[in-house]
Amino acid sequence: MAKVLEGPGMDLLNKWGMTVPRHAVVTSVDQAEHLADANPWLCEGKTVVKAHEALGSRFKLGLVKIDLNCKEAEKAVKEMIGKNVNGLIISQVIIAEMIPHEKEYYMAVKSTREGADILIAGLGGVEVEANWDRVKKLSVEVGENPEKSDLEKLAKDAGFSDELVPGIADFAFKLYQCHDQEDGTYIEINPLIVRSSDKELVALDVVTLLDGDARFRHPEWNFNFAAEFRRPYTEDEKAIMEIDSRVKGSVKLIEIPGGDTALLPAGGGASVFYSDAVVEMGGTLANYSEYSGDPPEWAVEALTDKVCSLPGIKRILVGGAVANFTDVKVTFKGIINGFRKAKEEGKLDGVEIWIRRGGPNEKEGLAAMRALKDEGFNIHVFDRYTPMTDIVDLSLKGGK
Amino acid sequence: MSIVANKDNRVVIIGGPAGVNAARRMAEFSYLIQSPFNVLAFVFPPDAGKTAEITYGNQFLSVPIYRTLDEAVKNHSQINTALIYVGANRAYKASLEALNSNGINLVSMITEGVPEKDAKLLIKEAKIRNKIFNGPSAIGIFSAGESRLGVVGGEYNNLKLSKLHRPGSFGVVTKSGGLANEIMWMASQFADGITTAIGIGGDTYPGSDYVTYLEMFENDQQTKAVILIGEMGGDLEEKAAAWYSEKKRRIKLIATVAGTCQERLPKGMKFGHAGAKEGQQGEGSAKNKIEVLKKAGAVVAPTFGALGKVIEEVYKEFIDNGVVRPTKEVDIDTLPDLPRKVEEFMKSGEVMVEPLLKSTICDDRGEEPLYVGYPASELIDKGYTIAHTIGLLWNKKLPSPDEAEIIKRIIILSADHGPCVSGALTTIIAACAGIGLSQAVAAGLIMIGPRFGGAVTEAGRWFRYGSENYKGEIDSFLVYMKANVGPVPGIGHRVKSMHNPDKRVKELISFVKSLDISTPVLDFAMEVEHRTLQKMPNLILNVDGTMAAILVDIGFPLETLNGFFILARTIGLIGHWVDQKQQGSRLIRLFKYLVNYSCHKKREVPPLSR
Repeated sequence: MAKVLEGPGMDLLNKWGMTVPRHAVVTSVDQAEHLADANPWLCEGKTVVKAHEALGSRFKLGLVKIDLNCKEAEKAVKEMIGKNVNGLIISQVIIAEMIPHEKEYYMAVKSTREGADILIAGLGGVEVEANWDRVKKLSVEVGENPEKSDLEKLAKDAGFSDELVPGIADFAFKLYQCHDQEDGTYIEINPLIVRSSDKELVALDVVTLLDGDARFRHPEWNFNFAAEFRRPYTEDEKAIMEIDSRVKGSVKLIEIPGGDTALLPAGGGASVFYSDAVVEMGGTLANYSEYSGDPPEWAVEALTDKVCSLPGIKRILVGGAVANFTDVKVTFKGIINGFRKAKEEGKLDGVEIWIRRGGPNEKEGLAAMRALKDEGFNIHVFDRYTPMTDIVDLSLKGGK
Repeated sequence: MSIVANKDNRVVIIGGPAGVNAARRMAEFSYLIQSPFNVLAFVFPPDAGKTAEITYGNQFLSVPIYRTLDEAVKNHSQINTALIYVGANRAYKASLEALNSNGINLVSMITEGVPEKDAKLLIKEAKIRNKIFNGPSAIGIFSAGESRLGVVGGEYNNLKLSKLHRPGSFGVVTKSGGLANEIMWMASQFADGITTAIGIGGDTYPGSDYVTYLEMFENDQQTKAVILIGEMGGDLEEKAAAWYSEKKRRIKLIATVAGTCQERLPKGMKFGHAGAKEGQQGEGSAKNKIEVLKKAGAVVAPTFGALGKVIEEVYKEFIDNGVVRPTKEVDIDTLPDLPRKVEEFMKSGEVMVEPLLKSTICDDRGEEPLYVGYPASELIDKGYTIAHTIGLLWNKKLPSPDEAEIIKRIIILSADHGPCVSGALTTIIAACAGIGLSQAVAAGLIMIGPRFGGAVTEAGRWFRYGSENYKGEIDSFLVYMKANVGPVPGIGHRVKSMHNPDKRVKELISFVKSLDISTPVLDFAMEVEHRTLQKMPNLILNVDGTMAAILVDIGFPLETLNGFFILARTIGLIGHWVDQKQQGSRLIRLFKYLVNYSCHKKREVPPLSR
């Protein structure tokens, strides 16, 4: 799943024949000054200006301004761009026309194991969540298209008037097409409105989640995916994502500010159990990480470097199951190189290291870790005979 | 007994090097249980028509590689299982072909990063055809004592440690490949091991879900309990719970679910598995899954750390109730070992191999070559030159600065002598005939012999002999040479003479003479020249003879002497080849007027006599 910001999300809807508000994404103050020249519609009516970033609670943070004329809009854009919000610099702003309308509706397409569900409600905005029973659903099997008659019935069930039913059915068909052809996992339009001026259905706001794994067959996707956890990625996270995208196997890093226990575990499954164990023991996580699929030594070294650089950590847990094919000796060599560098830079002062691992070349890998003791590392090394998450218990009990 | 993977699997692996690697691991297991290797073919167009070499014990099995799956199944009609090891962009097509192939009823895919839509289409296809599609992102399927499909199970020693050579009583089903292996290991530590372990893959929509396999385990009498490792996201664990509570089940369900940490982590965070994410409207949390599984009657380990104990307790209960009888273990030492490589035996001192050859100059077994012990990089760093390298590799000694200077000068003065001499001419003719660099230069080098450039060693030999045995008796030396050897090598020149001296020789001699080194052989050679010039003006000490005498004086063995000319002249020959190449020279041939055709007149051929 990968989140797409509003601008490119609306462009996708538009590509599949759905009407969206006219909008523009601004990335510099310079651009803001010439905005009205390039987009004459800005001065035709009122506009809304929003920070175009993966941020939650934009309203509360003052990052949404509504009901602006073009002068006010330009001012709002200039104020917002470059603003520092809890450490995040706003680098993009989206400006869109406000469209007079009376009623608001809801429409979404959501992936399921069998295909996708088309969801429609005769109400929209914040009311949807409170009235989930009024959302009507049509399931479509993968590889099929919804029948027009089924969509019309769905619209009727959702309470749309006869006048609106054909339009809603048509719009739903287009949204399904967009979801299907663009490898969507979830696309939600809320609100969907009828424009007062010409009775045209317009998608006023859209949440777009696409399948990032399908990127290879969408060379036309000219946008980056946004972080999905309501803050943008940090530089270190981006650096690891970049490495992850071009190596065999995978390396992952998400930072969690304020934690004192850093994770450097192997495996998508084991890493979550390590996270659970830390929380269970009352520890605080400084990150989520994992490496798997026999990644090259240098990639693991780069990940180690970032993990060692997490501020305020007291321990690093290098855990992992008995591996199938990830070479313990090679991946540990990367970790050891990273540790040595971090130690030289003073990043490991007062930091304990806990190791548990098995798998191909485990003897050599673990012996190399044990040898770090002689170099002055505070390191505790365990093999397959110590249960996997026991190092969490041992390290956190000892630490308290 | 087992499910899905068994002794009847006959496998085609679709994919390249990663697939071959998996096949090697699979062959290790076949060897462990002394059963025939079950991979019959590969499909990998770039290598079609070749074979992949797979070690089975101490044998090398050749497994054919085909361009298409069709060809593979046509040639191996027993194939019933396909493993997908191609990239994400080709995985769908490969799997679809496999599902559409009549004889194939099981397709397992290890490929990661497959689009969800592709997985869903494959699920649908498998369902229509009543076949099993496992994966994407699935490590494989392991049935102890029977069959290994994929790299699941790790290295050879781990197979033994986890007692995978014989069946136990526990089924395993997990999204995580690494944990599949860990649980197999745990099942062997805390209980009697596994029947079948399946990695279903960590994607959002695994091709076959827990329920698919729980149903099969329920029907496998050997399996008494199933260990299910779930994780947050999706609803497959909930479906498993619903299946378990639907009616009385024979198998005991042991479960643990990853992701209880989720509420303490940033919302919307992505974990290592694509499917491990929070569901919309709060569904799919680990906590919820644990609750539902508990309610369904599963034995749930609240944390992974508690799982070992839970497995142990369930196993004890089985023993106490007579559901399982303790396994009679075979001594692990009686299981076959993988044949070790000769190097390993040598390392442990168990075997001695008589070396085929001995080398005394260059050791390349470490990080970089050592030239008679000196690391090449250190020589470079400390400013040593090509002359020192020659001294080391030809004479095992670092030359002194004076000696290095002499070597350098000798190489410069012998590097080339124009296009007309036999070596250069041959290289040029070859270059003009379109011959490549190494062959054209080699052709030129072939000309080096007794009449061209190859007299250095012989000159050195006899000047040294003379200086040792005929010092001050030049006439006797010349008499000896005439009687036993012939003309003195190193004396005489076709063009140069007393009146037209060779400037190169004069320069070299005056340089050597300016140094503070003793040169008995050179002195002797010059005395010889002095005497021969009295006989004929062209019987001068030539460049070969001069080089030879000096090189012997600075300690080079006779065997190396021609090497100086060969090495130096190679520089010139390469130059001539490049020169002709850059000019785009065309094929040349001798003009007929340059040949004296002194042949027989034309005549009739007589009939062939029988």
